[in-house]
Amino acid sequence: MAQVARSMEKLISADAKDIQPPAAASVVGVSKFFGKTSVLQNISFDVAEGEALVLLGASGSGKTTILRIIAGLEQPYTGKIMIHGKDVTELPARERGVGVIFQSYALFPKMTVEKNIGYGLRIRKRKRKEIKKTVEELLSLVQLEEHRKKYPSQLSGGQQQRVAIARTLAYDPEVLLFDEPFGALDAQTRTRLRREIRDLLKKVNVPAIFITHDQEEALELGDRIAVINVGNIEQIGTPAEVYNNPATEYVATFLGAANILEGVVRKDYVEFGGAKIAARIDSEKFTEGQPVKLIFRPEDVALSMTQELPSGHSCFAGAIVEETSFVGAYERLRLRLDPAGGNSCDTGDTPYYLTTETPESQTAKPIIATRPKPETMAVKLRRGDRVFIGLTSFTLLPKDLRPMAGTETSR
Amino acid sequence: MSSMIPTMRHVRGFDVARPLSIGMLVLMMLPLVFLPLASIFLFGTSQGLTSFMESLTAPEAVFALKLSMVTSFWATLFNVIFGLFAAYVLSRYNFWGRNALIVTISLPTAIPTAVAGFALLLLWGPYGTLGRFLAPHGIQTMFTAGAIILANIFVTFPLAFGVIKPVFDTMSRSLEEASATIGATRVQTFWHVTLPSLRGAIVSGALLTFARAVGEFGSTILVSGNLAGRTQTAPLYIFAKFNEGQIEAANAIAIVLALFSFLIFSVLFFARDWLDVD
Repeated sequence: MAQVARSMEKLISADAKDIQPPAAASVVGVSKFFGKTSVLQNISFDVAEGEALVLLGASGSGKTTILRIIAGLEQPYTGKIMIHGKDVTELPARERGVGVIFQSYALFPKMTVEKNIGYGLRIRKRKRKEIKKTVEELLSLVQLEEHRKKYPSQLSGGQQQRVAIARTLAYDPEVLLFDEPFGALDAQTRTRLRREIRDLLKKVNVPAIFITHDQEEALELGDRIAVINVGNIEQIGTPAEVYNNPATEYVATFLGAANILEGVVRKDYVEFGGAKIAARIDSEKFTEGQPVKLIFRPEDVALSMTQELPSGHSCFAGAIVEETSFVGAYERLRLRLDPAGGNSCDTGDTPYYLTTETPESQTAKPIIATRPKPETMAVKLRRGDRVFIGLTSFTLLPKDLRPMAGTETSR
Repeated sequence: MSSMIPTMRHVRGFDVARPLSIGMLVLMMLPLVFLPLASIFLFGTSQGLTSFMESLTAPEAVFALKLSMVTSFWATLFNVIFGLFAAYVLSRYNFWGRNALIVTISLPTAIPTAVAGFALLLLWGPYGTLGRFLAPHGIQTMFTAGAIILANIFVTFPLAFGVIKPVFDTMSRSLEEASATIGATRVQTFWHVTLPSLRGAIVSGALLTFARAVGEFGSTILVSGNLAGRTQTAPLYIFAKFNEGQIEAANAIAIVLALFSFLIFSVLFFARDWLDVD
């Protein structure tokens, strides 16, 4: 028996070597119903040690439910929750050792800052000396030493949040869960706190899961982002991956602005009405004649008055400026693809950068674009001007297919 | 600088409605509230302080006051604990018949106190629905101090509950959830998080219940038997002495009860801030 156990151990440790950093927390095949409504469908993801994962989704996407299931405040219908390799699905919230920072912070109103922070240790019946020491350390970590005797109602939103974080750190949580941590704050405080929390997490090195509907927040806070849509994970990856190679149209449009045009796959290019763009076509994912969607970020678009575009830009099409407007840091242009624009683009000079605000599915619909100030000053564009568009990078998605079915990216 | 201010002030015509309406309000309250209260004190002390003290320290009077306090205390204790429990259950769980229960708990305030006392007699009395089985075993609930407590519980039943329940309802669920995720058991959460938030409601609920119980008459006179020195509460004593023509004796106790309720309502009114926040 002992031998078997030892060889088992070997097997396990060998396996563990193959799997890079062991997950601090895993959600495995979790689904959930409220009544007869399915809110989560077979959700799975891992959070690595020291990692910050952001669950990004619109309200009603089920992201809060995931958080509550991990915390033990909600039971999953199927699936399980693992924390540091231990199955905690059946454990009540209080035995999971998870730290939750609630949206409203949920500080205990009748306790001072000190008492709030020490609460986790008091109910664990720790020695008074130990509690005092830990509280002292945490107060200085979150820089609230001079507010220790205050009650939560006497603190600002940001200070309350720091108390809430310190209160969870007191009992060495296995993982921190943040529920819309900046929802209740104004825009300026939000940006400042975002940075503060990121620095704090680096310092304490506790894995964290954030929930937000704010894409900017997700990009800044997350080591990885999981985009949730109606109870499904549409894509999970680093901010750069998710932003640059969106796996689905939803991801592309939810995370930043995107142009979406419909076209058809040809041998070594994609055709859009009168325009075509050269692309390496992955024959495993696409077949000739297949309808596709071309998705490109605003900043991946180069504009030129002549047909010349810098090398590396796939030539795309001609367009007509429909409208220009000044939006502070940049200029926004609304363009319409020019059916008579022709396709022959050579390499050329100054590129201009485009942003679209709304997804467009047809070439006949306008593309809304922006370009930075220096370009605006150098080359004035007016309504009716004819320009040429090139793309630095774009993503092809099969039309009418569900998420993840296949992506093709050309850089 | 100060001489500038009057010239900058807006001068408006004298508003007649203001003193007139205030005066009218006071005038209306005079015969309805102020004068009856004042007459208790005027009458009670008209024969001099010594005779007032004599009436007050008469053994039967002292007993009646004590009995009122003791029975009210137990009724209050029971109703606060019950109200807390009922409020917890009814605001935390949703179940079939929940609203019916809420209405039932609140019902006793709407029932005339004499009817309440009568109902208790019909249940616990020697020939009552339950009492008839207890009587052969020598268990007599009616016409005892216990009966007074039962009557007090019945008529003050919804008071504490009514004060505590709204606080429960508005209390953020996330406080208790936060406590749970931090690692507290339900009991710890209730003790450290829920109860402190309810402190104000519990104190004011208790004061209301106590004040109401001390003054209870209608149901008490039916269930207690009104035996002087045995089951006679302070309000019953006032009534009895009045009937015997001993106005002074009745008056002495009336003053005590009036002062007592003043005290409770002052606490409720002036300690509101303390009751709500720290």
